[in-house]
Amino acid sequence: MNKQRLLIIDDEETILHALERYFRRIGYVVDCARELEEAEALATYTEYSLVIADLSLSGCGFEGLEILRYLRWNCPNARVILLTAHGAPHVEREAYRRGAHALLHKPRPLADIARIAASLTRGGVA
Amino acid sequence: MNVLDQLRAPGAIRVEFQPIVSVNGSGTNLYAYEALARGPRNTSMERPDVLFEFARRKSVEAEIDLLCIREVLAAAATLPGQPSISINLHGSTLTNVTTFADTFIHLAGSYGIGPERLMLEIVEHRAPWSMDILRATLDELRAAGVRIALDDLGVAASNYRMIVDCRPDHLKIDRYIVSGCSIDPYRLAVLRSIVTLAQSCAAIPIAEGVEEQQDLDTILDLGIDKVQGWIFGRSKPASEIANLERTTS
Repeated sequence: MNKQRLLIIDDEETILHALERYFRRIGYVVDCARELEEAEALATYTEYSLVIADLSLSGCGFEGLEILRYLRWNCPNARVILLTAHGAPHVEREAYRRGAHALLHKPRPLADIARIAASLTRGGVA
Repeated sequence: MNVLDQLRAPGAIRVEFQPIVSVNGSGTNLYAYEALARGPRNTSMERPDVLFEFARRKSVEAEIDLLCIREVLAAAATLPGQPSISINLHGSTLTNVTTFADTFIHLAGSYGIGPERLMLEIVEHRAPWSMDILRATLDELRAAGVRIALDDLGVAASNYRMIVDCRPDHLKIDRYIVSGCSIDPYRLAVLRSIVTLAQSCAAIPIAEGVEEQQDLDTILDLGIDKVQGWIFGRSKPASEIANLERTTS
């Protein structure tokens, strides 16, 4: 069986590594990025089926929206889950408009994120 | 620490060398080693393609190129014999680093490596900003004995314009064109045209990414005798090459 290839993007090391360990354990092939440009560089050369990205990588911007724009053209088959600690309604609307498949509020149990990820990669909706 | 600072840390850039061989009737000779720079282990930057794409996206091509060149020269100085060393860099680095040719040649000299042993493989993703500076820098490098190669020929931005602008001594044919050329008439047609182009420009073609005997036979039949790829060896750190040399000599 082909393993799902996952890109996790988060600037907080503890969250990044918790997600990385969890998704590796349940069978995903995982790449990690802490910055927008690092994520874009990875996605330039790798076909991801799933991307989990923090909406605000710097803590003050919405880089997650930028990565959505990039993925739409360069990784069009990737399902994208955005994580946010404080998403304003207009930002959430913009995220869905740009192609996010799910937007989850933090903190969220890892098992929950994994369940939604599995549903999305099987072609379902969050 | 952010990704860029991680790359700037001493020892973060690691270097391996892959042989480019010259194939003739009696066997193969080492023609040069291509130096392959990699970021820190167990990070995304371990992959050279990701490392250089990141540099381009951060607009720090010149800084990363210079970091890699320094590490390559330090490692190359420990290789057995006096092999030629091929080093990748962005065309924009040639124009954006003040007195690049002088800096590069002196740096190599400080490691005991003469310019006649050096080849620069230009990879480009956007045209250099100043053609005058590019030409002047290339002339200076060539006059000192450094050879110029155009990397990734046949894909991306390695195009006819780069041939006209850089007047390369070598054309490195991308693996995308090479791999499968024995069974694909379109790849074969492109290779034939590159051989003709190389002859017209007095450049030596080098086939990259050769992994299958059938592809090697096809390439040799076309008259391309400089070859690089797993069929002749994977990349290795300088220390491993030196150890192998010691145990086999």
